[in-house]
Amino acid sequence: MKKSLILGGLLVLASFSFAQEIVLSGDEIFGDMKARQIGPALMSGRITDLEAHPVNDRIIYAGTAGGGVWKSNNGGASFTPIFDDYIQSIGAVAVDPTDPDNTVWVGTGEIWTRNSTSIGDGLYKSIDGGVNWSKIGLENSERISAIEIHPEDGNTLYVGSMGTLWGPNEERGVYKTSDGGATWERILYVDENTGCSDLVMDPKNPDILYAAMWEYRRTAWSFSSGGNQSALYKSTDGGANWEKIHNGFPEGQLGRIAIGVAPSNPDILYCVLESEEDKDKGLYRSEDAGASWSHLNNDFGLVVRPFYFSRIVVDPKDPNVVVKGGLFGSISRDGGKTFKNLGNMHADIHDIVFDIKNSDRMYVATDGGVYRTWDGGTTMEIVANIPVSQFYHISVDNETPYNIYGGLQDNGSWYGPSRSPGGIEARDWNVVGVGDGFRVLRHRTKRVLYSEMQGAENIWRYDMDKNQNKSIQPLPVKGDPKLRFNWNAPMELSPSNPDRLYVGSQFVHVSDDMGNSWRKISPDLTTNDPAKQQQEASGGLSVDNSGAENHCTIFTIAESPVNPDVIWAGTDDGNVQVTRDGGKTWQNTTPNIEGLPKNTWCYHIEASVHGEGTAYAVFDGHTQNDMNTYVYKTTDFGQNWKSIVTEDIYGFARNIQEDYEKEDLLFLGTEAGLYITINGGKNWSKFTNNMPSTAVHYIELQKQTSDIVVGTHGRGIIIIDDISPLREIDQEVLAKDVHFFQTKPAMFVEENGFGGTSTEMEYVGPNPSRSAKIMYYLKKRHIFGKMTMSVLDDEGNELIELAPGKSKGINIVTWNGRIKQPKTAKGKTFSYGGFTSPRVPAGTYKVVMTKGKETYETQVTFENDPNSVITTAERKSNHETTMKLYDMSQDLAYLVYQIDEFMAKLDEISKTTGDSKVVQATSDQLNTLKEKLVITTGDNYVGSAEPQLREKLGKLYSKVASGFEAPNASEMENLALLEGQFNEAMAEFDSIQKKSWSKVQKVMAKNNIANVALMDFPEFLEKYK
Amino acid sequence: MRTIQTLLLTCITLIAFNAYAQDVDEIIANYFENTGGLENWENLEGMKIVAKVPQGGMEIPIEIVQMTGGKQYTKVIVQGQEVMQGVFDGEVMWSTNFQTMKAEKSDAESTEMMKLNANDFPSEFIDYKEKGYTLELMGTESFEGTETYKLKLTKEPVTIDGEQVEDVTYYYFDTEAFVPIAQESEMKMGPQKGAISQIKMSDYQEVDGLYVPFSMTQGVKDGASQPIIIESIELNPEIDDSVFAFPTE
Repeated sequence: MKKSLILGGLLVLASFSFAQEIVLSGDEIFGDMKARQIGPALMSGRITDLEAHPVNDRIIYAGTAGGGVWKSNNGGASFTPIFDDYIQSIGAVAVDPTDPDNTVWVGTGEIWTRNSTSIGDGLYKSIDGGVNWSKIGLENSERISAIEIHPEDGNTLYVGSMGTLWGPNEERGVYKTSDGGATWERILYVDENTGCSDLVMDPKNPDILYAAMWEYRRTAWSFSSGGNQSALYKSTDGGANWEKIHNGFPEGQLGRIAIGVAPSNPDILYCVLESEEDKDKGLYRSEDAGASWSHLNNDFGLVVRPFYFSRIVVDPKDPNVVVKGGLFGSISRDGGKTFKNLGNMHADIHDIVFDIKNSDRMYVATDGGVYRTWDGGTTMEIVANIPVSQFYHISVDNETPYNIYGGLQDNGSWYGPSRSPGGIEARDWNVVGVGDGFRVLRHRTKRVLYSEMQGAENIWRYDMDKNQNKSIQPLPVKGDPKLRFNWNAPMELSPSNPDRLYVGSQFVHVSDDMGNSWRKISPDLTTNDPAKQQQEASGGLSVDNSGAENHCTIFTIAESPVNPDVIWAGTDDGNVQVTRDGGKTWQNTTPNIEGLPKNTWCYHIEASVHGEGTAYAVFDGHTQNDMNTYVYKTTDFGQNWKSIVTEDIYGFARNIQEDYEKEDLLFLGTEAGLYITINGGKNWSKFTNNMPSTAVHYIELQKQTSDIVVGTHGRGIIIIDDISPLREIDQEVLAKDVHFFQTKPAMFVEENGFGGTSTEMEYVGPNPSRSAKIMYYLKKRHIFGKMTMSVLDDEGNELIELAPGKSKGINIVTWNGRIKQPKTAKGKTFSYGGFTSPRVPAGTYKVVMTKGKETYETQVTFENDPNSVITTAERKSNHETTMKLYDMSQDLAYLVYQIDEFMAKLDEISKTTGDSKVVQATSDQLNTLKEKLVITTGDNYVGSAEPQLREKLGKLYSKVASGFEAPNASEMENLALLEGQFNEAMAEFDSIQKKSWSKVQKVMAKNNIANVALMDFPEFLEKYK
Repeated sequence: MRTIQTLLLTCITLIAFNAYAQDVDEIIANYFENTGGLENWENLEGMKIVAKVPQGGMEIPIEIVQMTGGKQYTKVIVQGQEVMQGVFDGEVMWSTNFQTMKAEKSDAESTEMMKLNANDFPSEFIDYKEKGYTLELMGTESFEGTETYKLKLTKEPVTIDGEQVEDVTYYYFDTEAFVPIAQESEMKMGPQKGAISQIKMSDYQEVDGLYVPFSMTQGVKDGASQPIIIESIELNPEIDDSVFAFPTE
């Protein structure tokens, strides 16, 4: 009885505390915290599929390998992303010919099946030109190769599904819907290993379809293209029946087949075959709609790497002009008999689309972006605003501003700044490696970095000042077996010794002299399975031994930042090894991990700063066709591992980054984006604020700025500036209506340069704000009632009003430390100097926020630039002079206001009493005075009149206020001159008032006209705009 | 005070009601009910908004007037001078050129667009069916962490750069308060064509019985934005028609 009571009580307590826990997810927490996409776009990234609007040649769509869908509304001059909320790997984009302005279909999952390819998750549809999307089906197709839409019935579609690359599945073949995607019928299926790699509808008869079926498979250590099931099929009855059309094809196994139909003559077909014999490979042409085929060409450009290049496109106007994707891309103008390369552009051509009106204009999808040509493919120009660069890895340094280093798929190694004058432009990026780029690491104390190319064929030590590189990769020495380096070979710096560098083959190699000499500190840490080391036989019908399938290699190395003798190594075949004695002995801890399938690729080990035995391990099973998320934490050197994965996470993970201050704050990169936990993995939230659902390959935390830097495989570098508020969020904060977060002091950086050089069509990554940040959490969105924010000085005077954010979650309001511009006298034109807002002196300022009846207070602090050479006295002089000129501007504004009021009164008197000598004389005096004070004629451009006192004062004010130094001698002399003129003007106005106005007053009294009613100066300052 | 009570009561009722599916007309009806009543909205003939635009320390005072029949202007006050922008008298649209300070007519397409929208004051949603608009509930969606109804408003097509394009705006209505907290539309012109423009609304306050937002932030979704701080709103202001007319030199 007693027991059950206690138990009951405990249960109530437990459920009570459970009920009290506030669990928020996604934008409920992150609010205003927005990611910053900094590119780069100059080398862009892999484009998989291009699609033209059928009647509007301004509209082009580009599907990308890992960066979503981009749309151009200006004939390919520039593109805008339109698919950021969904999986970013794209196979096919199609525009509905019956509703081309609105209905667009996107099939996800890249179809150019390289080792690093991302995955898709089905078919999507937009009915508003790409603004909103909904998922329609085929979730398990993984890769959609083609979408063909009936020209008269937009609800009838045929979709080619390639199916899973890394294992068998049944959602592959050709699918048909007749109801816009509500229901699907699989109308062509071969087996669970053979997918539809190409599907084309006859442009004049929608019942005729051609489908290329491809038997293919990739593992982590091999690729196989071709088999007995690969074939080319034709249906003439809308997909009800299919027949192989191989008359003229070689016997034996076939591989990937590309098929194209000439739009101007649908009897003419082209197909590109991968076959057993080299002599039979290449281009075939049919002139009888596939009844028979002739082999025309097996040039390199036609047969190269079919799994990567399998697109043949026919000019819509000329059946004899045909373009084939390939290493360089090939074009024939004689019906396929001969080809020449397309013009110079990035290599690896995946798709080509002709302009609908002018075949001289073409768009080309490459590994390095979209190119366009105006002369039939001879000269090519890159579209410079598509930042879909694919980073394998990134790192950061500790400079100010810090730089980001990383390597790209087929686009070398680079570094660029996290901020740059005018924004982060193409010119800010520096190339520091060729080939495919992977890890790039900056020496901690020297202007030296390390970069590498695929398979550690080269590891370069690069002197950033001298522009010199030396190749330093470890080489086999006597007694060594062949060194096996991964395609993306691990390189890691030591947190304890700046000259130390780790590199992994099957062994851990370490150098303590920046790569001049190496020693092995481990045995072979992999499974060393010989069956997974047959890469020379990889490729299937076309041997493809690029090194991309090298396996049984170390993939990640981490030295503990707490104890340099603790080193972790994770292998691509599933081992997590640790040494606690600097490499003398190693222990494989993988057997201690529960729930992890055997041989699951260890993608990343994060050695924690929070304890020498603490580490995180991230495993990626997708190359075993396992898309689950595997993230584990140990606190005892791997004796025990605990999963920190919840159902909140979508997609397999590759990388984790811990916070250096709050142990429970973790950032996880998956195939579908970035996830954050603030409670050690009890709950995860997807971060979606300007962060697309792109594959995250690596995450870094920059210590000085607390910026999270994300290396994506499809959208370049993405930064979340200053994640420090996330450190403060706990149950207590979440329960408050308003909570102000601690903020770092802002700095008046003494820069005032001239910005960048990019044109409108070039991508420019935004800079982080230098303003002071007022960051607060709102429990609920503010909708009703006034909410204001003001910055006050010491005496409680309002310096400036700010516009507070109203979002639920974190809000960030910025203040650049400037107060309102001075009131400037009214003239005929503008005084441009008067548009300058002065800075406040460095110091701490009170911020008051009102929300309905409640008032909340916090503070912000500005500091001066620590790198400044300007003294305190000089800075004070700058401020005092600025404010003196500020005040003079306002005094002058008041003076001109008074003159205007007096003159208006004189007008009134004239109208009432007729002209009088006194009135006219006074008016003349005032006019003469005013003409010396402000411009009264001309315009704001080249019709400008001669500058007067207002303009001169404004110019000097702006000159001083915009700088940081004390005013120079010339400026002070100029100030004295203007002050003299100003004082003279004041005296003159006094004199007019005393002498002439007294006479005017008499006229007014006589005629019962009220005296001029002037606002006093404080009222003027409040009301004059 | 009475209005606030009514509003609270309505809110409570609506929260209870919230569990049920909403259709667009119910959402719109609730919106008008919660913000002063449809009849009051229908009787509204004009609105004058006095506001300021903060820009990095600078504060730019503006005055926005909108009247039935589409008459409108935005007055920007710079160093004591009033510069008229986006002025429309029902037929002609014009702005003052900042260089010459002289009035210039807007291009024909912009003017035509303005004419098409002339019947939208005081609200696009009033008699939207009679205007030939369609309004569709796209579902509920979290907008910056707040649950909303997402509505799609399609108006008459407009002509931009010689092409006829759809005129679509998406509205996000708070599911508890039934007032819009944001609107979005695809930009159809200019260098940012294709990006999504976004306006966020908050600080709904009562003005003579109507609840209107006193804070707006305009910008590009996920990009830079510009707040507008509203100082006062006057309903049915008296504005001389001559103010809207294209000035003759």
